[in-house]
Amino acid sequence: MEILGQFRREGLGRRENRRLGLIFLMALSFSMVLFSLFGARASVFEKAREALLDISEPVLSVLGSPIRWVDARFGDLSDYFNVLDENKRLREENSELRAWMHEAITLQRQLDYFRGVLGVELPEPADYVDALVIGEVDTPFQRSMILNAGARQGVENGFAVVQDAGMVGHVVTTGKSASRILLLTDPSSRTPVVVEGAELEAILVGRSRGQPALTFFAIRDPEGLEAGQRVVTSGAGGVLPRGIPIGEIADISDDGVRVKLFANYAGTDFVRVVKYRFQPDLTQVENNGADGTPSAGPSADEGGNE
Amino acid sequence: MGLMERHRQGHQPMRAAMNETVQDRRWLALTPTLMAIAGVVLLLLPLRLFGGFVPTPIIPLAVIFFWSLYEPDFIPYPIVFLIGLLQDFLTGGTVGVWASVYLFSQWLILQQRKYFLGREQHVVWLGFSIIVAVISVIIWLEQSLLTRTLLPYMASLWQWVVTIAIYPLLSIAFSFLHKRAIMEEE
Repeated sequence: MEILGQFRREGLGRRENRRLGLIFLMALSFSMVLFSLFGARASVFEKAREALLDISEPVLSVLGSPIRWVDARFGDLSDYFNVLDENKRLREENSELRAWMHEAITLQRQLDYFRGVLGVELPEPADYVDALVIGEVDTPFQRSMILNAGARQGVENGFAVVQDAGMVGHVVTTGKSASRILLLTDPSSRTPVVVEGAELEAILVGRSRGQPALTFFAIRDPEGLEAGQRVVTSGAGGVLPRGIPIGEIADISDDGVRVKLFANYAGTDFVRVVKYRFQPDLTQVENNGADGTPSAGPSADEGGNE
Repeated sequence: MGLMERHRQGHQPMRAAMNETVQDRRWLALTPTLMAIAGVVLLLLPLRLFGGFVPTPIIPLAVIFFWSLYEPDFIPYPIVFLIGLLQDFLTGGTVGVWASVYLFSQWLILQQRKYFLGREQHVVWLGFSIIVAVISVIIWLEQSLLTRTLLPYMASLWQWVVTIAIYPLLSIAFSFLHKRAIMEEE
């Protein structure tokens, strides 16, 4: 029996089977690539992604804690050596921020006054979901992160994700207890933005490890662009809220306009998911908001999100 | 297969004992699969080596390379396919890209297996670097096609350099496990 088994394992038939198996599996994976290209997002693959995210969430959480611990110890160590410089820098920054704070309070008062005069109705301020980064995909052509918050915490696809410094990316897959965000640097990431100062609308395109580039809608030359101008989300398309800081213009050349992001990905451990729903009509919000529910009617929301 | 041949030549009486160790072998055969899965998970962890400057090496490729070379029975095509599929799903990329790339790399290795068996380790290492280079070009082409833009190739260079650099270390660990697998069998 054993010898027969050996023959079957090493004989010609087995090799032929192997080759057939390879051809079959290759064909299968290529058809999967084609299917995921043309089969839209809401396919069976998306369900599998969500399920696998939920399965990997506890694993990544557990495995990630020693990494975070080591990171924190290294952080402590460098803090210890930089403590004097850091203190000096923080003191300067603090006095600067104090001046800004007073200016902000004055402006807020003025704004409230004008709003009162004009009778402006504003949407409810956005809600946040705090989340921990438990996974990060750092392959050259894919840039994404996995968060430990999902549909159970109120996360939905399309929500913007911010860090203390600026925007990080947006949610693309939502499991029950985990979600994946596509970073602004991913080559497939497209974010509608506006350049403050120049008031130019543009699309921010990810460039993997390099700085993201701006693509402009108009054929005319983008005028009035200068390095250092702030780039924020424009809210065009209704998926993201307007005004989330993204970065500043770093470099204008023939190759295009590059943006230096405010967010520091290597130091991103905690993020906030901005729960934002496009509200097409503010008066509708006012009517619905009177009884304490901030949502502007499900049907209007669905229309806005598409 | 290499193992089998060695048995036939040197250890004829071992045959009888093999039935008893089939069970052990089955468990040991899981080693590369588990290590490849661990490699996929490692790709997901926010390791951020040297302040995020050094990307995580693609360990599953090293696992597939080593075990396809020395013990292809432990890592059949369906397993390689599933490992690639797992990586595709977990990294959120286009499904099928890594599955096809891993399958193709295993096919390449199996074609060149006879040449590499019994060679010195740095020759094998060179072989690994060549396969990594071929695969990196394929991945770059595939991703450029999928995003319909010519992606910067330099971006991927670092990850491949790191993957190649870490191979000797992994290969030492793998050979240790591989030797144990042979010893358990005997």
